Amino acid sequence: MKTWTRREFSTMAGVAALAAVVPQAVRGQSKPRVVVIGGGVGGATAARYLAATGAIAVTLVEPKRRYATCFFSNHYLAGLRSFESLVLGYEALSERYGVTVVHESAAAIDPVAKTVALDGGAQLPYERLVLAPGVAFKFGGIDGHDEAATEIMPHAWNAGPQSELLRRQLESMEDGGVFVIAVPPDPFRCPPGPYERASLVAHYFKQYKPKSKVLILDAKDAFKPQDVFEDAWARHYPGMIEWLPAQFTGGVKAVDLKTRSVITEGGTFKAAVANVIPAQSAGLLAQRTGLTDESGWCPVDPATFESALQPEIHLVGDAIIGGDMPKSAFSANSQAKPCAFAIAEALTGSPLFPPHLFNSCYTFLAPDDAFVSALNFKPDAEAGRIELVDTFVNKVGESAEIRRRTAHEAVGWYAAIAHDTFG
Amino acid sequence: MGRQAEGGKALLRRRIAAIASAVSATSIAASFLIAGGQGAAAANQAHGAQIAAACASCHGPAGGDQGIPLILGLDEQAIIDAVLAYRASETPSHVMHAVALSLTDEELASVARYLSTHGGEENAR
Repeated sequence: MKTWTRREFSTMAGVAALAAVVPQAVRGQSKPRVVVIGGGVGGATAARYLAATGAIAVTLVEPKRRYATCFFSNHYLAGLRSFESLVLGYEALSERYGVTVVHESAAAIDPVAKTVALDGGAQLPYERLVLAPGVAFKFGGIDGHDEAATEIMPHAWNAGPQSELLRRQLESMEDGGVFVIAVPPDPFRCPPGPYERASLVAHYFKQYKPKSKVLILDAKDAFKPQDVFEDAWARHYPGMIEWLPAQFTGGVKAVDLKTRSVITEGGTFKAAVANVIPAQSAGLLAQRTGLTDESGWCPVDPATFESALQPEIHLVGDAIIGGDMPKSAFSANSQAKPCAFAIAEALTGSPLFPPHLFNSCYTFLAPDDAFVSALNFKPDAEAGRIELVDTFVNKVGESAEIRRRTAHEAVGWYAAIAHDTFG
Repeated sequence: MGRQAEGGKALLRRRIAAIASAVSATSIAASFLIAGGQGAAAANQAHGAQIAAACASCHGPAGGDQGIPLILGLDEQAIIDAVLAYRASETPSHVMHAVALSLTDEELASVARYLSTHGGEENAR
């Protein structure tokens, strides 16, 4: 029997006892099989908590060998963190928790035969499937901005080569240029992300390119918490960040790659560096498997995260219609646990209790000035959606000490959630 | 009024501690071959474990020295007192206020029992 070290155990808290209540008979037989597709935060958390029951054979399908976190990737763009510091691997999931990690792409899901076909030709049978496909980018809404255009105007909305490209562009930009961020329409991954990006890039400019500016071209007319951001921009970066809502510009309609211009209904903005973030929908595999509705996102049971469209397939993370839950890494991590417990109940008869769903997102306004949004939710079975219960967010006018402490706490939060997710 | 509020809180603490003791009593009963009791104890433990899974998102070993404390192995009553102080906003924290408000008294008792019991085992190793 494995002896847990304190370090391992402390993040196993939620699942250690689950193993104890799984009937012995189940454990003696060949284990039920769960395939998890997608090794981001939602998929990795689900795989880890399912495997920790000791009663389920878990296979995680993820083509990449390394995962770079989107959270804190704005720090990388601003030169405050190395890219390497964002990179996590799957070794602990396989070596410590017994997850079979397959580094291939899933080509197709057969919900009737209950198999996953891999690119290499192999078929993986499952009793339950967890799909955590993240977001797909919907090109076509902005003329001239297609997949190839992201090599010139990166979105950097997946941490990886796109982030590295945007960082290189910001580094080689001459002082006095304009960094344009085009913010997509709702819903999209990480709602405060574009405004944090504006803040931290302005911090970089303030130090190294003080004549440069940040221009935010928004598809919306408001964002949250707008007063907290605007107060911070006035305090830290006076005159450096300009935000233009859709009602002023009519929204971004096109880009001109040659002149590196972003074209709105109301005017054309010439960028030194353009960060165009496309509109989003659920990941492609979810679309191809018939798991999305007319909105382009995946409807799920708000307590078990089982698809409302295909039984025995569960979805977590950015791809789902999460009701009041924002699309964030924390939401994905929070959803994956009750999802794992519900699957364990269905396959092994272990007990299931009402889920606790949270989102705690830390957002940086400057390296030593951060705020947190703390939200709790509960599933409303009748309405079939996840409802917000409480929200608490930092306010304008707080002491610098509170914001410093929050920034410090955020660093601890990063380390903790990375460990809780990837082991 | 302040004294009344204080009295109310003491009552609440005692009530939650009583729930936690009941959980404990079932655990002890479990080791004496009471089939029903064993099931109840296991269920209580599983309930605490599933709530503790939510705690683990932030209270990991890696964040311990950076503003988010480790909570495994803390004294059960200390966990209950701390969460009640967050619930009443006596200790300020947006995150823990949201967490504390989401827990029923029974859930708080289960998770406090779970965290204290399991942390204790770990400390003994």
